[in-house]
Amino acid sequence: MSERQLGDTILEVNNIGLSFGVMKVLDDISFDIKKGEIRSIIGPNGAGKSSMLNVINGFYHPQEGTITFKGETRKAMAPHVAASHGIARTFQNIALFKGMSTLDNIMTGRNLKMKTNIFWQALHLGPARKEELENREAAERIIDFLDIQAIRKKPVGKLPYGLQKRVELGRALAAEPELLLLDEPMAGMNSEEKEDMSRFIIDVNDEFGTTIALIEHDMGVVMDLSDRVVVLDYGKQLADGVPDEVRANQEVIDAYLGVPHE
Amino acid sequence: MNESLSEKTLDTFPKLLLSHARLRPNHDAIREKDLGIWQSWTWSETESEVRALACGLASLGLERGDKLAIIGDNRPRMYWGMTAAQAIGAIPVPLYQDSVAEEMSYVLDNADVKIALVENQEQVDKIIELKERCPKIEHIIFDETRGLRDYDYAFLHNFEDIQQKGREFDQSNPDFYQQHVDSTHGEDIAIMLYTSGTTGNPKGVVLTNDNCIITARNGIIREGLTDQEEVLAYLPMAWVGDNLFSYAQSYVAGFCVSCPESASTVANDLREIGPTYYFAPPRVYENMLTQVMIRMEDAAKIKRHIFHYFMAHAGKVGVSILNGESVSLMDSLLYKLGNILVYAPLRNVLGLSRTKLAYTAGEAIGPEIFDFYRSLGINIKQLYGQTECMVFICSQPDGEVYADTVGTPSPDVEIKINDNGEILYRSPGVFHSYYKNPEATASTKTEGGWVHTGDAGYFDDKNGHLKIIDRAKDVGKLNDGTMFAPKYIENKLKFFSYIQEAVLYGNERDYSTAFINIDLDAVGNWAERNNLAYSGYIDLAGLPEVYQLIKECVDKVNADLAQDSRLGNSQIRRFLILHKELDADDGELTRTRKVRRNFVAERFEMLINALYSDAEECHVATEVTFEDGRTGMLEADIRICNAECYPLKSSPQEAAA
Amino acid sequence: MTFFIEVTLSGLMAGVMYSLVALGFVLIFKASGIFNFAQGVMALFAALTLVGFMDEFGMPIWLAIIGTIAVMIALAWVIERVMLRHLVNQEPIILFMATIGLAYVLEGLGDILWGSDVKMLDIGIPQGASDWMLDTFDIYIEKLEIFAAATAATLVIFLAIFFQKTRIGRALRAVADDHQAALSVGISLHTIWVIVWSVSGIVALVAGIMWGSKSGVQFSLSLIALKALPVLILGGFTSVPGAIIGGMIIGVGEKLAEVYLGPFVGGALENWFAYMLALAFLLFRPQGLFGERIIERV
Repeated sequence: MSERQLGDTILEVNNIGLSFGVMKVLDDISFDIKKGEIRSIIGPNGAGKSSMLNVINGFYHPQEGTITFKGETRKAMAPHVAASHGIARTFQNIALFKGMSTLDNIMTGRNLKMKTNIFWQALHLGPARKEELENREAAERIIDFLDIQAIRKKPVGKLPYGLQKRVELGRALAAEPELLLLDEPMAGMNSEEKEDMSRFIIDVNDEFGTTIALIEHDMGVVMDLSDRVVVLDYGKQLADGVPDEVRANQEVIDAYLGVPHE
Repeated sequence: MNESLSEKTLDTFPKLLLSHARLRPNHDAIREKDLGIWQSWTWSETESEVRALACGLASLGLERGDKLAIIGDNRPRMYWGMTAAQAIGAIPVPLYQDSVAEEMSYVLDNADVKIALVENQEQVDKIIELKERCPKIEHIIFDETRGLRDYDYAFLHNFEDIQQKGREFDQSNPDFYQQHVDSTHGEDIAIMLYTSGTTGNPKGVVLTNDNCIITARNGIIREGLTDQEEVLAYLPMAWVGDNLFSYAQSYVAGFCVSCPESASTVANDLREIGPTYYFAPPRVYENMLTQVMIRMEDAAKIKRHIFHYFMAHAGKVGVSILNGESVSLMDSLLYKLGNILVYAPLRNVLGLSRTKLAYTAGEAIGPEIFDFYRSLGINIKQLYGQTECMVFICSQPDGEVYADTVGTPSPDVEIKINDNGEILYRSPGVFHSYYKNPEATASTKTEGGWVHTGDAGYFDDKNGHLKIIDRAKDVGKLNDGTMFAPKYIENKLKFFSYIQEAVLYGNERDYSTAFINIDLDAVGNWAERNNLAYSGYIDLAGLPEVYQLIKECVDKVNADLAQDSRLGNSQIRRFLILHKELDADDGELTRTRKVRRNFVAERFEMLINALYSDAEECHVATEVTFEDGRTGMLEADIRICNAECYPLKSSPQEAAA
Repeated sequence: MTFFIEVTLSGLMAGVMYSLVALGFVLIFKASGIFNFAQGVMALFAALTLVGFMDEFGMPIWLAIIGTIAVMIALAWVIERVMLRHLVNQEPIILFMATIGLAYVLEGLGDILWGSDVKMLDIGIPQGASDWMLDTFDIYIEKLEIFAAATAATLVIFLAIFFQKTRIGRALRAVADDHQAALSVGISLHTIWVIVWSVSGIVALVAGIMWGSKSGVQFSLSLIALKALPVLILGGFTSVPGAIIGGMIIGVGEKLAEVYLGPFVGGALENWFAYMLALAFLLFRPQGLFGERIIERV
């Protein structure tokens, strides 16, 4: 990936500290994410990567530190604030609406884009109907983008794992997010599926200019995709920089990369 | 009088398009499912799209006789590219969109392609990669912009920009388009289609407008097709069949063609469109049947009973009813009930409820598969054709449909069979030449205009229909002099749903042997029903129970062969089940999924040796190509199994005993 | 034969009433996994409020209905505020206990506000036998029952469209499926709960009107809730069509059993037939006729 011009800072976390009881999950974490970049968070299991995403989208409320998103500084986010301000995410263990179709899942992702009130909704008339059609078109564009036309009407619970991951990405994209949080989007995939998913991530970043924060285990993928990488280990921040810097960082090598892994 | 006049003047595709735009401007010409909705273009809209594109191509420098490559899935814009090229006297050359760059480079270079019209980034990448080796390519036009935003090449153009350019060009040269269309003629070259020969490089079959249009029209007249037909264009555009059914016949008859949303949604799109006129190779019919059967096995007991009861009844009388023969009142009533309960819903699931005419060709179709569809009331017929004559050589007339023949000669087609059994034909569809290959042209097309098909066959004494046995060059002899027709036997094997592919050996050998590929779906399902555990294809293929299952199939084929005095000695003595599926990516199949027998023999030479020895097992290591292009080794121990051989029915010794 | 048809039809109509109550259960269960024991009492409370508005405040029917709907929505809001919000992520049994408490509170509240005597409810639903049915088919059937059936059908169609085709319907299903994922796409659980309890309150009102018109508004109305339980076991707890069809099967079943089997077992079969049927279902098809089979994909 060639050197790219990064935009202004869209999100900044400062001195984040998070504990569950006596367990310190995140300790003094600070980094920023710039508009339009692909930012990876890596680290061994239990390093606090998913917790970090949960802090960003408001599932966890850190005891220390601040989060500044689009210029507004908060002690903690709340999920609906995060969602309505343009943060969408996927989950490590796929959290889809399993009984619903692919299309309905993606339409649900457009929840915040749809405004008509319950009165029109109940009658399924007038503005509600028009809104439904407009959003259906947007959902179809995503289906087309992710090449999942064939499973449009299938209940997602019955789909193979790789496709579920894709639908989940679709649901997150449906919100037209400014910042997209991907929690191990390639976990459990074979090499072909990984390649497809990498392609989609690059395309999302390219086509829609979406800023992406990514947690991923596959180092090859991370180093290829990312503009910058932050490394966590046992809740502490080890390094932060472009992939080459991180790769050369002795502490990182010792803690993580040096350990031979599969 | 008028009709023949118009036939004379409407002798090229752009002329036909102009005429439809005048005669049926608001009739849908082409449809495409996009963003979940069927979008359609009428004939007059198609005409203006094609006109804009043609002028755009001209302004890019495409001239009379130049070649336009077309590479992509079936899309309206790809089809418009054909007509647009034809309108300005250029020649469209559709390519198989799933070819890898290597395969593509030969055709692009051989065909002297000047401009390539491609569907998406995938194809753009391939051509950019090839561009240095194919310096004749001057421009690339792409349809889908996705992923191409950052590509900054002067030779790369967006389809819409070219059309826009064309509209401007049209404004300043208002007579250009009409003049060019007027100067196209029936004897001009309409299209070049590359055949994926089993050996050597593909050959460019040059077809004239007359070849295409007269053949298309003859087919329409023979089957009584109208402008109300619905057709789904889902087979590769580079294949002559698609060009006939989805392009030439649509332009001649004026019916609408629908393009599926994507390759993976074809079954669903088929159901939504409900084609009245349909073509599929036997493989597709087989797959559909297998799917139905698997679904029925999982259905509730009552449903399954009803299904089997009425299917048995359809098997008894369905074909006769379709052939218009009379059946007893009771049978006819029961069939009507079955139609409500089973046949009609089934036809609907298959997407064939409205189908008046379904063709199959390319390979022999299993008799029970054939009869299954016919007994449901679907008028499926076989035809025999080649790229070299725009498909039609023979087809089966209504009411004279048999599973083992390909019918009678199509209108204006003459057929003769030479001394070594090879079929030759002569027709208005006979191709102009192979592009830049006079030797091949001369050896295929004799002075009298007769074309060697390379197929061996004969006219059936009973019904006068043509029967194809095998490729003429593949018909060989066992060491004892028995005629050895491998494909004929392979087809018999493939008619079993458990067998996906079979490759027979025996020419200049003492006896026949076979490689078998099991059908993963069917055998896997069978294994599950019999509580057999397996971890994958290799494992399944090696199970003793599976060997027994396949042996039963082989034995049945042998018993069948024993009935035939000419072929009886070519019964299969020994066979094995291959550890991998034969794959086009490994070069074992052609792109049209035909087995490349000699290639397979070389690749698995050890296995052949083992088959012609006493060995009971053979270790084999094979290099395979994965879908992402990487290669790896696949190793397995393969068992070899002896099959039952039956005494010849007419054998004199047997008669004495 | 006519008699058999009459019994069946009247069973069918009674079944529709059960269905209406069961429907309210299903809605809440689907969206929040809560088994709402108070559903029956909600029907009673709604009917009491309606009668109260009409009798004591002299409101016209339409205004009284609108007023009652407003009360039910307010009630949903209060329930969410006071009860649900504090019980998020608790065990289902705790939530169930909470709804038992709610049932007592509502019953008491109804008593305090509107008194405990039996009240007549007449909102102008035609009474008496349908002459048309009597003339054409020689079958006796109450107009009220036909009206109830038609109302139930309309309600179900309306709900089906609402659930399948609208944003809020999808959001309801999304919440039912996965709370966390629903939060991540910006669905507010609180709003959804208020909506679901409101809808279910309105369904309770409809059920209350039907039962009230038939047999007066009285506190035994809340006992219908118990009949809805076998209906749910039959139809499946998560299925709207299941609630409808389950209700009809129970309705028809108990009427037929009473008439044809009753004499042999000494009568009163109507009271426990439904529970027998439910028991049988629990043994052989625990997910009910239409419930989702519980299969975890590994």
